Amino acid sequence: MTTATTTAAPSYRGVLPPSQHEFAEVIHRLEAGGAMLPDSPENLMQIIGIYKAYAVPMDFYWRDLLYMAEQVFLEPLPFFKYFPTQEYLDRHNHYAGDTADLRIWRGPATAHPELLAFMAKGETGKMPKLLHHLWHDRINMEFAEECMRAMLWHQGMGGRFNDYLDSDEYRENANRAIRAYFKGNPAMLALHKLFPEMFLEQCRQASYLANLGLFWEVMAPVFFEMSDLFDEGNLRTVPEAMNFLVNGIFAIAGRPIYHHVYIRGECYEVIPKSKGFTWLYEAALPYVEAVFYRTSPFRGTKSYNAQARQVPEDQKDFHYGILYADVFPVGTAGIPPTLLMQDMYHFLPPYLVEYYSRHCKGKDDMLIQLGITFQRSMYCVTSAVIQALRTALLYPLDDPNPRHLQANRAFFEMQLDRFKRPEARLRNIQNQDYR
Amino acid sequence: MPDIVDIAVGAGAFKTLVTAVQVAGLVDTLKSPGPFTVFAPNDDAFAKLPPGTIPTLVQNPPQLARILCFHVVPGRYTQADLAKVGSLDSVEGAPIPFYCEDGVFEVKNATVLAADIEADNGIIHVLDRVILMG
Repeated sequence: MTTATTTAAPSYRGVLPPSQHEFAEVIHRLEAGGAMLPDSPENLMQIIGIYKAYAVPMDFYWRDLLYMAEQVFLEPLPFFKYFPTQEYLDRHNHYAGDTADLRIWRGPATAHPELLAFMAKGETGKMPKLLHHLWHDRINMEFAEECMRAMLWHQGMGGRFNDYLDSDEYRENANRAIRAYFKGNPAMLALHKLFPEMFLEQCRQASYLANLGLFWEVMAPVFFEMSDLFDEGNLRTVPEAMNFLVNGIFAIAGRPIYHHVYIRGECYEVIPKSKGFTWLYEAALPYVEAVFYRTSPFRGTKSYNAQARQVPEDQKDFHYGILYADVFPVGTAGIPPTLLMQDMYHFLPPYLVEYYSRHCKGKDDMLIQLGITFQRSMYCVTSAVIQALRTALLYPLDDPNPRHLQANRAFFEMQLDRFKRPEARLRNIQNQDYR
Repeated sequence: MPDIVDIAVGAGAFKTLVTAVQVAGLVDTLKSPGPFTVFAPNDDAFAKLPPGTIPTLVQNPPQLARILCFHVVPGRYTQADLAKVGSLDSVEGAPIPFYCEDGVFEVKNATVLAADIEADNGIIHVLDRVILMG
């Protein structure tokens, strides 16, 4: 995959009057082919470094998510769901290595070497993986599961996936898999007959595990390749980084999203590929809405009282995602966002460790600093999604037709309206001192 | 009169579209009595998509079929008909908006390069861009 550079002149100049939006400066930047995140070498270094640190645990997340969706499935006592088999660690990523459907990363298709090294030794040293697990010296799947739950719970975020989970066809497919899974287990089969919705809901959850696993299978090689390009000096600006993501979004937009379950060697197609569900519509866009924007209030040092209306009544009004998060109170031990930061902490490139040690409390508050870097980097990813949607649904930035440029302007302004909320971090990331 | 597929094959400017229709298994449908209104992106339109987009879709026929079905509306609609209705649901299910004013004919964010090409089983409007749901 190649990087594309956008050199279109700001479309409003001479054609449209300047925007009067609160974030007019950001809108003009988007109209010029830029990102919400200002273009500076410091921002570029931060976001690429954190993409690399994110991609390594993500390489574990997608493998284990598919392991849970396809193999663990309805296991009533899933003690070992975070222990994907060697088969899943060796599983070829469809977008890396020599066997790739579309080679995005030039590296190997099997689990990343840094991931395997960490799984063997962790922070504490070489010991049986069960001890690593119990000591929490491991990749934390709790963050990945929280993302899945956000997608399952919020629903209605576009695409056809969620509606399909309520269809008779899905019910039939799922029931077939449930009966096969509990074959020879009369107690569980009786339970299924008595409470037919119970395992069905678990199956829906597993379908979202598959959805998220297939989504991240693509993102890990995208981030690895961006890191390699940056290291080689071939990714030089924030817009170049964003455009790499835009091209990536298009390139794999048509990747199928499905849910297959393997029971005693037989494949049960709970969601077949033939449904036509795609990576862009059924995974990426719902993921961005559920995880970047909405999620749910985490109990960090801040608590929320729903009775006192501190939590919105409508799910669409939830804004607790990474684009809004106050990283400091959220950064309490044991909650999913902190566990992600802890995961990324293990794989930071040396230049980012050196950068953090020069700021704030140095190594003592590195988790907070990297959390804010992560926030910056996700504003870049969101910018890529916004530019990709503009490319797909609207008009080129250098379109000569004023009506088309006005439509682009209205789209950008509508997107940025979501960051007018006081807790949004768009204002903060314009400033380099926010760390 | 030739059908929709025959016209696309004969025109020579729809090589990518014809290949995509074949891969997606939609040839028989588009040769059936229909009638259909087809918004047909030409080869230049497909070339505007970022690299990798088409190969991924070609590897996955059901997903490709879904995108192609967004370019088809059941029934026979001329430019004048589409100007009156404003929007129609595609075979894919998502709506397609139309803009017809001051001599401009647009289908979603694509411009119609040639309108009202009559076929035995429908009508073709040629687009300068591939349109996508959303």
